[in-house]
Amino acid sequence: MDTTIPSDVFEKLVQELRRGVLVLATLSQLGEAKYGYSLINELAEQGLNIDQGTLYPLLRRLEADGLLHSQWNTAGSRPRRYYVISPAGESLLQALSDEWRGLAAVLDKLLSN
Amino acid sequence: MELIDRYIYEVGRYLPRKNRADIQAELRSLLIDTLEAREEGEPGEEDEVALLKEFGPPAKVAASYRPESQYLVGPELFPIFRTVVGIALLVLVVVHAVLFGITLFTNPDPLKALDVLSGFTGSAMSVLGTIVVVFYVFQYFDIRLAKPGQEWDPRELPVIDVKNEINRSGTIFDIVLTFVILVIVLVFPKHIGVVVTPGTPILQDPVIASHIPLIVAALIAGLVVHIALFWRGRWQLGMRLAIIAANLFSLLVIAVLISGHGAWLAQHTGSGFFSLLSNLPVGEVPDAALTLVIVMYLVQFGLIIAMIVTVIETIEVGYRFIRQLIGWDLALSQVASQKDDPDL
Repeated sequence: MDTTIPSDVFEKLVQELRRGVLVLATLSQLGEAKYGYSLINELAEQGLNIDQGTLYPLLRRLEADGLLHSQWNTAGSRPRRYYVISPAGESLLQALSDEWRGLAAVLDKLLSN
Repeated sequence: MELIDRYIYEVGRYLPRKNRADIQAELRSLLIDTLEAREEGEPGEEDEVALLKEFGPPAKVAASYRPESQYLVGPELFPIFRTVVGIALLVLVVVHAVLFGITLFTNPDPLKALDVLSGFTGSAMSVLGTIVVVFYVFQYFDIRLAKPGQEWDPRELPVIDVKNEINRSGTIFDIVLTFVILVIVLVFPKHIGVVVTPGTPILQDPVIASHIPLIVAALIAGLVVHIALFWRGRWQLGMRLAIIAANLFSLLVIAVLISGHGAWLAQHTGSGFFSLLSNLPVGEVPDAALTLVIVMYLVQFGLIIAMIVTVIETIEVGYRFIRQLIGWDLALSQVASQKDDPDL
């Protein structure tokens, strides 16, 4: 039997999996204000590599939904847009984390069988 | 940095004006951040190329900044859109074929007929454009074709009823045919008639010309019930009644036209059709008055045939209506399914 996975199918499924947790990962790191590149670096250092083209638009969408606040900061060598979590984002982060932990526990159980 | 400038500029072309400058500024600072973090010293063109390739083509990047699911005609509306476009195109083709034929026979200049054909492209574009605009409005305002605010209830799913399914292609044919006649009657009423010698004005059928509103009303009624039937996809008692009603109205209109032709013919000729034919001058083109008489006879024959066809159709629908009403179909299908059960 052929057990090779078509690579495009695999890629697509991995992307779908990651897209689901992206919001959670982003909100979790924005307790203090960060700009796009520093956030992507921090996530990468902790082992989560996110496509730049995915993260930056996501930050704007979260802001439009009222989950983040943002501000241009001109103090550094060049202007940068800093994002920080909003109160609404905080409560969403709390609820999403609980959801994630439950889901992860269930999946651990399922996968260990 | 030149490539980055060009890139930012190009992304901007695809962004909505509202926050274009802001997104461009952010994108620039992000690109430069990344570039500087990666390269010691002055970054070269190669580094910029690699970075921009990672970010992706401008149109794609810009799209990811716009709200999700932008549709002209979304997946929910698309099947209906396709059917409507198909029917509209079919109507256009038939209308233009008919017009082409008429023009070819009535106009001394054959180039005029080609004009009709070239007009097809223009009409097709404007009709398709109109359909797209209408669907886009539906899409934009998120108008669902079902009633809003009503929860979908699986118990309201139609019962499987193969026997009462409509003949889709037949219904489309009816819709297209009615549509074509309607368009011709509405848009080109002056073309309904006959030309004796090319170049002379069209002799109009005076009875049809004086009953256009009535004819249009009958055609629209037929069109509406057949579109409703197609939409439903199945025969129901109400649907059958509606078709019968529309047919009866058409029959009334046809009867008025037939009697109108009869009265006109009685006024303009003493003899019947066959004695008229046998008295035709041999080897000559009949004059305008005589031609019109012949045409009026032919139209009357056509109307009588239309009447017979409509009567037969109405009787058939009426018969099925009564059968469905009494529920014979249901009883029979129950017996049949009971017979089939042991085999399963």
